[in-house]
Amino acid sequence: MLEINGICKTFAPGTVNQKVALQNLSLTVKDDDFITVIGSNGAGKSTLFNAICGTFFPDSGSVVLDGKDITYEKEHRRARKIGRVFQDPMRGTAPDMTIEENLALAYTRSRVNPFAPALNTKNRALFREYAARFDMGLEDRMKTRVGLLSGGQRQVVTLLMCTMVTPRLLLLDEHTAALDPATAQKIMEITKQVVAENSIPTLMITHNISQALTTGTRTVMMDSGSIMFETGGEDRARMSVEDLLAKYKENKRETLEDDRILLS
Amino acid sequence: MGLVYAILAMGIFISLRVLNIPDLTTEGSFGVGAIFGGIVGVSVHPFVSIPIALLSGACAGFITGFLQTKLRVHPVLAGIITMNMLYSVNLLLIHVATERLKGLKNTNLPFGKSAIFRMALDKLGLSSSSMSAVYVKSAILLAFVAIILLLLVLFFSTNTGLAIRATGNNADMVRAFSINVDRTKILGLCISNALVALSGTMCAQLSGYTDLNLNNGTLIRGLAAVILGCAIIRGGGILRGLIASVFGALIYQLLVAVVVRYQIFGANSSDMKSITLATVMALVLAAPAIRESFIRKKGGKDHAGN
Repeated sequence: MLEINGICKTFAPGTVNQKVALQNLSLTVKDDDFITVIGSNGAGKSTLFNAICGTFFPDSGSVVLDGKDITYEKEHRRARKIGRVFQDPMRGTAPDMTIEENLALAYTRSRVNPFAPALNTKNRALFREYAARFDMGLEDRMKTRVGLLSGGQRQVVTLLMCTMVTPRLLLLDEHTAALDPATAQKIMEITKQVVAENSIPTLMITHNISQALTTGTRTVMMDSGSIMFETGGEDRARMSVEDLLAKYKENKRETLEDDRILLS
Repeated sequence: MGLVYAILAMGIFISLRVLNIPDLTTEGSFGVGAIFGGIVGVSVHPFVSIPIALLSGACAGFITGFLQTKLRVHPVLAGIITMNMLYSVNLLLIHVATERLKGLKNTNLPFGKSAIFRMALDKLGLSSSSMSAVYVKSAILLAFVAIILLLLVLFFSTNTGLAIRATGNNADMVRAFSINVDRTKILGLCISNALVALSGTMCAQLSGYTDLNLNNGTLIRGLAAVILGCAIIRGGGILRGLIASVFGALIYQLLVAVVVRYQIFGANSSDMKSITLATVMALVLAAPAIRESFIRKKGGKDHAGN
């Protein structure tokens, strides 16, 4: 379970570029939650993820994962429990290494002997088995350099790397946005399957509002660094994209040109 | 001599290609290997100079790595700082050593009978100027290079080795998989500089003396070897890269020998070798760009997007 208690973050305080990125934001992600996060550009969605991962430390508030305060824990330390997939397929993998080497690296999260060979017959077979489950033909290309794969395949590898050692929290930052619709759909299905199988608490940022309403268990809308409203259960099931937009307008009284375009 | 630089080239390959860090410490750690290793070789035992060189090089790498990661100094500056520190250290070491051993301060210390190669030759009863002496020396060095190559390939297939390789490839991702990037960088630089220092002490042992200026031009030599080698033997993989570095070092040394032997630039050829090889290196580096512009002029396909 992840608890975020009133975190605030202001970038470049005291200068003309001062930007309040997170404003007293609180959110609880329970173990069986799959929360979709929506909001316009600059609403603070990625900033929220960065605060959870420790890319920077918040000015105030706390981040608690499974009862342990990780607000000021170092990035690579808390990464042991957090898996994160970015929008850019290039960010999650090492391009000059083979698929199995990438997977072996991800596997080191399960506390292995640092001087044992990274790849042996046993874990090679294990990695193949994992890759085969996604039905993308990756299991036959284990010795291919990841840099030669397509964006969609790389994203699958990243997802596999993030979930192979089951994390205590999965953060998906528009991980299908850079892919073509067919591949994006395929990746979404794989995502749902993986999350359901391992029951990983998940936060997913998306710009596709209908997807936000149909995927997962709850939806959170962010604006100006805080949560504008959230919905779950039956309320959410009945809600249409129009309802959501009306709600947004009601709260913000601004035109939504950008978001309308994204919906078409 | 080419084989000595092969060790150097493998060290530079690790920092330049694997870690993706331009490491200027090289020049200093080569010197510290030559001098500290050399002094220990003369005063204690030649074989002890090998671990001492490895250790001192690793220390140099550690300092640079520490500056780069924990103190967030720019990689190039961190290398320069360490290199300069090592110059003073080397100067001090050689002064103290020559004063102790010879009774006067000097920047040059001859080995006499105590170099590894000389010892081996004495055992075999060969004179150091005979032709077979060259073969024996080469064989010893070749064995060294082969052992180092094997150890490195094994190391880079372990979990730690994999983490070091990934650090140079995509540090963000390595951090996301809960690996301390600072630590892998420092470790990589330690290994790289340990090899460079080993190459330094081998250079001193082979030359039969150690000297404050032995390290001049090490960096360009090592870089040239790696770049030449990787231009000839392409493709990823640690094994290929290391072999490419070894070949690069040999080819570079061959080029130098040709330039000097046949006096390509007249009587001043040995003075001109640096500029020749710098030119060769620039051409090798520029080759892909030149080829591309050539294709475009001919109206061929535009490769800019690839």
